Amino acid sequence: MNILTMLWRNLLGGSRTLLFPARPKVSKGYRGLVRFDPELCSGCAICKFRCTARAIDFKSGKGTFTWSYDPGQCTFCGRCVEGCKSHALSQDAECPPVYLTIGALKKSYTVARKPAPKAAPAAPLASGSQADPLPGGAQ
Amino acid sequence: MNLTTALARFLIFPGLLFAVPTAWFFLWVERKAVARMQGRIGPPFMQPFYDFVKLLGKDTPPRTGVAGLLMKMWPLIAVSAAAGAVGLLPVLPSSGGFEGDLILLLALLELPSMCIIAAGFSSRSIFGEIGSAREAVLSVAYNVVFLLAIVSIAASQHTFRLEALAQLPASPLRWLGVAAILVCLPAKLHLNPFSLPNAEQEIYSGPMTEYAGPELAMWELSHGLEWVAATGLVATLAAPHVALVWLAVLLFVAFSFFVVLLLSTLAAATARLAIDTTVRFYWQCTLIFAVLAISSALFMRLRS
Amino acid sequence: MNLWNRLMCYCRRRSPWLFHMNSGSCNGCDIELIASLTPRYDAEQLGVRLEGSPRHADILCVTGPVTHNSVQAIKTVYGQVYGPKAVVAIGSCPATTNVFIDSRTLAGPLNKHIPVDVFVPGCPPRPDAIVLGVAKAAEILAQRGAQKPAAAPAAAALLTAAPEAIPGPSATAEPVTVASAPAGVSAPAAREVQP
Repeated sequence: MNILTMLWRNLLGGSRTLLFPARPKVSKGYRGLVRFDPELCSGCAICKFRCTARAIDFKSGKGTFTWSYDPGQCTFCGRCVEGCKSHALSQDAECPPVYLTIGALKKSYTVARKPAPKAAPAAPLASGSQADPLPGGAQ
Repeated sequence: MNLTTALARFLIFPGLLFAVPTAWFFLWVERKAVARMQGRIGPPFMQPFYDFVKLLGKDTPPRTGVAGLLMKMWPLIAVSAAAGAVGLLPVLPSSGGFEGDLILLLALLELPSMCIIAAGFSSRSIFGEIGSAREAVLSVAYNVVFLLAIVSIAASQHTFRLEALAQLPASPLRWLGVAAILVCLPAKLHLNPFSLPNAEQEIYSGPMTEYAGPELAMWELSHGLEWVAATGLVATLAAPHVALVWLAVLLFVAFSFFVVLLLSTLAAATARLAIDTTVRFYWQCTLIFAVLAISSALFMRLRS
Repeated sequence: MNLWNRLMCYCRRRSPWLFHMNSGSCNGCDIELIASLTPRYDAEQLGVRLEGSPRHADILCVTGPVTHNSVQAIKTVYGQVYGPKAVVAIGSCPATTNVFIDSRTLAGPLNKHIPVDVFVPGCPPRPDAIVLGVAKAAEILAQRGAQKPAAAPAAAALLTAAPEAIPGPSATAEPVTVASAPAGVSAPAAREVQP
C-alpha cells in the first residue's frame, strides 16, 4: 500500500517540475564559467600550465599577450583560478550556454603588458658593493 | 443490419471517426496520469497527435522482397483489425455492431498481437525475434484466462450474440468475468507490470526495432485503437443497459475512461515483471478465477 | 502542400524522440541525460521520449569523446536514424574531447565523423541545459524538414553508405562498442568503413 499512498500524495501535491524554460538557480559554490579580468592579469601563464583541458591559451607578442579561453573545451575544475597569483581569474556560478558551431564560445583578450614596476631608489650598485650581500657579513 | 448502418458503425461511431481521436485521448490520459502520479507534468494534450503526424513525415525505409512486403503489411492489418474490433462493440442498444458475434470480436482483438509477433519475426533482427518470442509467450499466458472469462459469460447467456452480452443480468458471474478480463488487460496493452515485449532498454524496442516513419505511425495507431477496443469491451460488459442512445454513449465513454485510469494507476505503481514471473502469475494465480467462472457458467446452464 | 508542410514543422518541433548513444564517455553526461527525464526537469513536457531503437528516433544524443572502438558504431547508428534528423553532442567531450585531448585512444571530436547540430557544453552539463539543447535541436529539426534534406556532403555520403533496411544482426548491432569492434583494442590506424 506504500506505493499507492505515494502516488496519491503525488497527485494531490502537484508536480515538482520546472516549467520549460525555467531553470533552477545554481548554488553558490558552483564552478561555472571562468571570468578573466585583463586589468589584474600579470601575464605569467600559470593558468595555461595548470589547465587540465587546454582550454586556456596564452600567446606572447611584442609588448602584448593574448589570453584566450574556450568554455567548450573547459572542464570547470578550477585549477586555473587556484593558481592565479594576481586573482585575475574567478569562476561564476553560471552554466555555459548551448551553442551551434565549434569554437563559438571562445573568447580572446589581447592585453598590453604593463611596464615593469620601477625599483626603489636604493644606493647605486655600480659604485662598489656597499650593501652587504651576506647576512652575518662574512667578507 | 444494412450496408449503411454497418458502414456508419464502422466509420463513424463507434468506428474510426470516434475511435481514432478517442485512441489519442486515451494514450494521452495514460501518459498524463502516469506522469502526474510520478510527480511530473507530462506531455501536453495533443501529444499523441503530434507524434502521429511527425511519424508520417519521416522518410520511408526501403523494403524489398517478400519480407519487405510482409513488414509493410503487418501494421495495416493490425490497424484494420483493431478498428474493426472497436466497430463491433455493442455500444448502442439497437441492433448491435456489424453482423458479427463474439467469436469475430475475439478474433479481431487477437489480431494486433499476432501481427506484432509476425512483424518481429519478419523483420529478421535478433531483437525482433526475442521481442516476438516474449510477446508469444505472454499471449499464450493471458489468452487462456481472457478467453475462458469471456466464454463463460457467453455460456451463461446461452448465446454468442454481442447485444445479448451488452444486456447481461447483474450476477456474480458477470463481475467475476469482468475482473478476470481486467487482470488480462495490462498484458494485452503492454502496460506495467506485464510490459515485457516493449522492454526498451533490454531489447531495443523488441518487435518494433526495424520499423520507422509511417509504419511506426500505424503501429502507434493500432496500439491506441487496441486501448479503445479493450477498455470498450470491459465498459460494455460492466455498464448497465439503458435504452437512451446518448446515455448509453455517455456511460460507455465514462466506463472506458475509468478503466483507463485504473490501468494507468497500475502501470505507475508497478515495475516490469520478468517473463517467468508473468507466466507463473497468469497460469497459477489467475487461472483459478477463470476456471471458477467457466465452471459456474456451466453449472448455471446445467441447472436451467 | 504548404499547409501540410507547416503542420509537419509544427508537429516535428513538439515531438522530438531521442536515441542516446555513449561513445566512450565517463557516464557523467549519461546520468545527467537520464536525470533530465526525472520529475524536476521532466523533458516529457516537451514531448521528448527516449526511444529504444535508433530507427524510431529523430535526435541522436551522443556523449563521450569518440574512442577508436566506437567510431564505426557511431557512424552505423547515425545511418540508421531515418528521416529529418539532428545530432546533439552532450558534454564537452564530443565537442572538443575535453581533458582527453591528444589521447592515443581517441578518434577526435564528434563532428569529424557525423554532422553535429547542437553542442551542450559542461562537464557534465546540468539537466536543464540538456533539455535546452534538445529543444534547440527540435527547432532545428523542424526547420530542416521544411526544406527537403539539404544534408552536408559528409552526411550524404554516410546516408548512402548506410546499411540496407532489412539487415542481418550486424546493422542493429549494439551501440556498446566492445563486441562490435572488428579490429583489436588499441588500433590507432584508420579503420575501413564497412558498406
